Amino acid sequence: MAALQEKKTCSQRMEEFQRYCWNPDTGQMLGRTLSRWVWISLYYVAFYVVMTGLFALCLYVLMQTVDPYTPDYQDQLRSPGVTLRPDVYGEKGLEIVYNVSDNRTWADLTHTLHTFLAGYSPAAQEDSINCTSDQYFFQERFLAPNHTKFSCKFTADMLQNCSGLVDPDFGFEEGKPCFIIKMNRIVKFLPSNGSAPRVDCAFLDQPHELGQPLQVVYYPPNGTFSLHYFPYYGKKAQPHYSNPLVAAKLLNVPRNTQVAIVCKVMAEHVTFDNPHDPYEGKVEFKLKIVK
Amino acid sequence: MRQKRSEIYSVELSGTEDIVRTDQGDDKEKYRGLKNNCLERKKKNHEEEFQKELQLDDHKLSNTELEKKYGTNIITGLSSTRAAELLARDGPNSLTPPKQTPEIVKFLKQMVGGFSILLWVGAFLCWIAYGIQYSSDKSASLNNVYLGSVLVLVVILTGVFAYYQEAKSTNIMSSFNKMIPQQALVIRDSEKKTIPAEQLVVGDIVEVKGGDQIPADIRVLSSQGCRVDNSSLTGESEPQPRSSEFTHENPLETKNICFYSTTCLEGTVTGMVINTGDRTIIGHIASLASGVGNEKTPIAIEIEHFVHIVAGVAVSIGILFFIIAVSLKYRVLDSVIFLIGIIVANVPEGLLGTVTVTLSLTAKRMAKKNCLVKNLEAVETLGSTSIICSDKTGTLTQNRMTVAHLWFDNQIFVADTSEDHSNQVFDQSSSTWASLSKIITLCNRAEFKPGQENVPIMKKAVIGDASETALLKFSEVILGDVMEIRKRNRKVVEIPFNSTNKFQLSIHETDDPHDKRFLLVMKGAPERILQKCSTIMINGEEHPLDKSTAKTFHTAYMELGGLGERVLGFCHLYLPADEFPETYSFDIDTMNFPTSNLCFVGLLSMIDPPRSTVPDAVTKCRSAGIKVIMVTGDHPITAKAIAKSVGIISANSETVEDIAHRLNIPVEQVNQRDAKAAVVTGMELKDMSSEQLDEILANYQEIVFARTSPQQKLIIVEGCQRQDAVVAVTGDGVNDSPALKKADIGIAMGIAGSDAAKNAADMVLLDDNFASIVTGVEEGRLIFDNLKKTIAYTLTKNIAELCPFLIYIIAGLPLPIGTITILFIDLGTDIIPSIALAYEKAESDIMNRKPRHKKKDRLVNKQLAVYSYLHIGLMQALGAFLVYFTVYAQEGFLPHTLINLRVEWENDNVNDLEDHYGQEWTRYQREYLEWTGYTAFFVGILVQQIADLIIRKTRRNSIFQQGLFRNKVIWVGIASQIIIGLILSYGLGSVTALSFTMLRAQYWFVAVPHAILIWVYDEVRKLFIRLYPGSWWDKNMYY
Repeated sequence: MAALQEKKTCSQRMEEFQRYCWNPDTGQMLGRTLSRWVWISLYYVAFYVVMTGLFALCLYVLMQTVDPYTPDYQDQLRSPGVTLRPDVYGEKGLEIVYNVSDNRTWADLTHTLHTFLAGYSPAAQEDSINCTSDQYFFQERFLAPNHTKFSCKFTADMLQNCSGLVDPDFGFEEGKPCFIIKMNRIVKFLPSNGSAPRVDCAFLDQPHELGQPLQVVYYPPNGTFSLHYFPYYGKKAQPHYSNPLVAAKLLNVPRNTQVAIVCKVMAEHVTFDNPHDPYEGKVEFKLKIVK
Repeated sequence: MRQKRSEIYSVELSGTEDIVRTDQGDDKEKYRGLKNNCLERKKKNHEEEFQKELQLDDHKLSNTELEKKYGTNIITGLSSTRAAELLARDGPNSLTPPKQTPEIVKFLKQMVGGFSILLWVGAFLCWIAYGIQYSSDKSASLNNVYLGSVLVLVVILTGVFAYYQEAKSTNIMSSFNKMIPQQALVIRDSEKKTIPAEQLVVGDIVEVKGGDQIPADIRVLSSQGCRVDNSSLTGESEPQPRSSEFTHENPLETKNICFYSTTCLEGTVTGMVINTGDRTIIGHIASLASGVGNEKTPIAIEIEHFVHIVAGVAVSIGILFFIIAVSLKYRVLDSVIFLIGIIVANVPEGLLGTVTVTLSLTAKRMAKKNCLVKNLEAVETLGSTSIICSDKTGTLTQNRMTVAHLWFDNQIFVADTSEDHSNQVFDQSSSTWASLSKIITLCNRAEFKPGQENVPIMKKAVIGDASETALLKFSEVILGDVMEIRKRNRKVVEIPFNSTNKFQLSIHETDDPHDKRFLLVMKGAPERILQKCSTIMINGEEHPLDKSTAKTFHTAYMELGGLGERVLGFCHLYLPADEFPETYSFDIDTMNFPTSNLCFVGLLSMIDPPRSTVPDAVTKCRSAGIKVIMVTGDHPITAKAIAKSVGIISANSETVEDIAHRLNIPVEQVNQRDAKAAVVTGMELKDMSSEQLDEILANYQEIVFARTSPQQKLIIVEGCQRQDAVVAVTGDGVNDSPALKKADIGIAMGIAGSDAAKNAADMVLLDDNFASIVTGVEEGRLIFDNLKKTIAYTLTKNIAELCPFLIYIIAGLPLPIGTITILFIDLGTDIIPSIALAYEKAESDIMNRKPRHKKKDRLVNKQLAVYSYLHIGLMQALGAFLVYFTVYAQEGFLPHTLINLRVEWENDNVNDLEDHYGQEWTRYQREYLEWTGYTAFFVGILVQQIADLIIRKTRRNSIFQQGLFRNKVIWVGIASQIIIGLILSYGLGSVTALSFTMLRAQYWFVAVPHAILIWVYDEVRKLFIRLYPGSWWDKNMYY
């Protein structure tokens, strides 16, 4: 089979390639004449236009079938996630370290809180209504302006000592920092059967070697999310909705050691034992206050 | 003729020098030059031996000179001690088996073929990518490591499988190899001893009797009626007489040398060993074979070509997107990861295994039809074969002398030469036939071996030479129990055939109790017999033999001889009872009985007839566009006759000589172009340049090469290969083995074939039936077509698997399908369906089209790649994306919210990512949705692959012409696809490591319209191809 293994020299190959690029005898470029190229391009353009059109049509139909107010399925959102502010992440999850005596170390942390709470200023909450009931705020119909539903106000001052209004340092300076806990929104989610969900923070590995349980002051009092913030009807129905918050002021965090703290949301329909999801129904963070 | 022969063989013996000389004279002959490189290398190794062989003059020496030369004594033989010394010096008298590749090397070779290289490169790229990722982020995902390992695993498993398959067929082979160790009767220390033939040394005096194999090259010292069968060496089916006289200058032609591995048919011979082991003539031929390199199989070349295409596509898409990624401000390191990812994603992981399994399935199917494939890749080679160079003896013919024609009553009768002789239709009523049959029966020394009562006549073993055997079987079939007839006609005396008399004679009592006369019967060379006759029997009556009857005799004799048949004359004489009474004592030495003025009865001609299946097979090869060339060592007349009878030379085509004969003009004046057929002898071939040979091969449709040497067979095969043909060579003898090896596919005969031939071959015909080759061609062509389909099927989804990644890079969507999920498609759901395509029936009569052109008709051509990638692949990608978007949209992420979401989506530190509805998602919740997306995309591809599978059933015909349900395996494939998909989604949906989730049932149907669209689009494509053959559409869309 000598003929097959015929070795071509480099120049021969180049020449062949050149001839492939432009063949003067047949007027072919890259194996096709110009008119052939036009034809084949036209075919492909047409083909892809049709295919894209079909795909766009499919997507259009899909969009038409999707309900604008509520998602069709909430398979993944059985139980809400819980997040913490300030949110500084280390190698593994939330890790907050600061030096009481060096305000540069916590300036960022308090700044984060201030920015976060800016969304809860009375001005930002202007379009929401005041709610006082401690029952679920069901709204069947769109009674709010612009065919929407009402949202309840949650203003920063409800967090009292942790609102940043009274103490702009959020207790960081005195070593009793405030952390704000937020529960994720889920459309039409009801956290419990009547009692308000409550945040409960504690050392992760109780009994702690220091012997003392974590002392926490919650704002609003008892660390509850009032039921009138639920259910959430979605962005389109409640454009002004803001998540209710709970602030936890940690009073007896030991100095110079890293402690792990978990804040759980205690409610019947909120689970916090999913082994795969560390943020479902609870938030864990490590805290080290240096003095 | 005799003269010519000698010169041919001198070419072989002095081959190297001869060819080197021609080559120096003609440097332009590139190919010859190439061949010579290898020969030259060999020459250096064997120079001494060749020198020695050239000087082989033992046949010219007298007995005493021989004794002196080999230090032996003709009467007493060698002494045991001297023999032991010589044995130590020369080594055992056996052919060095061809160098066996060590098993481990064979095993490793399975893992470095063209395809495997692709996977290896992919695997290493994966690990490099992981290395890069790891260096920048210690918690990098291990996906790339898994992927790399899976690729390696695939290579290894496939290698193991292929190795196992080939080892299995090698085992079948080796069962043939079990041979009873040969014994030799040798005179040593003045004693006759039986020793294993391996221990023979030069100078040994050996005795060989009828039925034995010649244990070494021996110089005949004395012989009694010895005839040898040299067919394994030269291809001559006629027995050759052997005696002690020096009759020819050429050692191969002279009568006083017998060659190793040939068989002594009858008589006895005593001779001196002059060459042993590898130094024998046969040893030299065998070593020729080992000097010929193995060629790449056509399918291996095709797969290499395919790998080039895939690699080209992979690298160009990779680089394109690398540039895009860099210009989209991705970090260069990430872009490199993308580049590697894209290249690896293009590797069709499952294809290597699929191709191997498909080939072995066909190999299995062929083995059932008695084609044993030694090398898996050779399965396809027969399909691309465009020239078959077939040996004659044993391949095209039955390799046994058989009565073909009879002449009596001035008429030629045709005898049935089929394998079982069952149908003898000639007129048996004439009383001449009665006399003739009596002579045939009585004047015959051959006998059936005892204990074969239940064996069909034609298969019974016989003691006696080939022509006597033929006559015995012929008469046994027609007359019944020959031994009984002979018993009734007791033999009184006989003179066996010898080369001086050229006749055989015996005198019998008759079976008629009232007839006291003796019957003298004689057979022999026709002209010799005719001389002894004065009358001729016509219609049972004796007529005087006059000129006109003699003329008819000659005409018949010439006609039968012209058919390449061996003609025997028969005559008889009833001895007058008064002169030869019952008590008369016959004496063969004084010949006290008449041997002239006999009565001529008839002629009978024999030939080694073609196998009955061959003519049909040759016709089929013809219609399949395959040229069948006969290459034989036998005489041109016989070769031509056989070629005509099997159709290698068709009935109405003539050679130059035929035309010259018909027009009664000299051969030189005949227009070469008028002749369609050519018979070329080795002698003529010797004087040809390779251009001339090329010209012959190109110009004549029907070619017979006769009296060729093994070396010339090689030259012929090379000549054919120069015509860009894929050449199959069939053969059985040692002399064929170099050509078998040189061929693109060597086909050896399983029963008659020698070990050397079987070793050199790629395929073994277990039933020695040339017709099995046709099956092989059919299967080979089918597998080529079906591999195209399999590859098209497999390549299609590659785009559907690659697009998500591209979109992920460009548009920043959450990754639509993960690496592991892709692996589950490539190595899970798609494997059985792609193998199922191997069971697809041919679309049209594949035996009626020309063999593919090995440089033009590629396995994977541009059209196939373009159609799979840019048409169906793209449609599939869109369909799968639709499922993906549907799942995300119904969970809250509408398509437009997904764009450029990638960075946030993948950020572990964002646990309140908002969707379209304002809901907030933790990282794990998103990840789970991402897996659901993977599963959805997987299901999308799966559903459309079902459509892809169905459209790939045919390339030109409509599915409805092909029959949707004819190939049941396709449906097994589809079922397997669905079942594996269900198991992955619902059974293993809870195993997080596999990233499958339980998908809602309705998502299985989202891609169904797309699947139907694919089917419709392909039907339209096929419709236009059928409607407008040769059109622009056909050229661009037919793969």
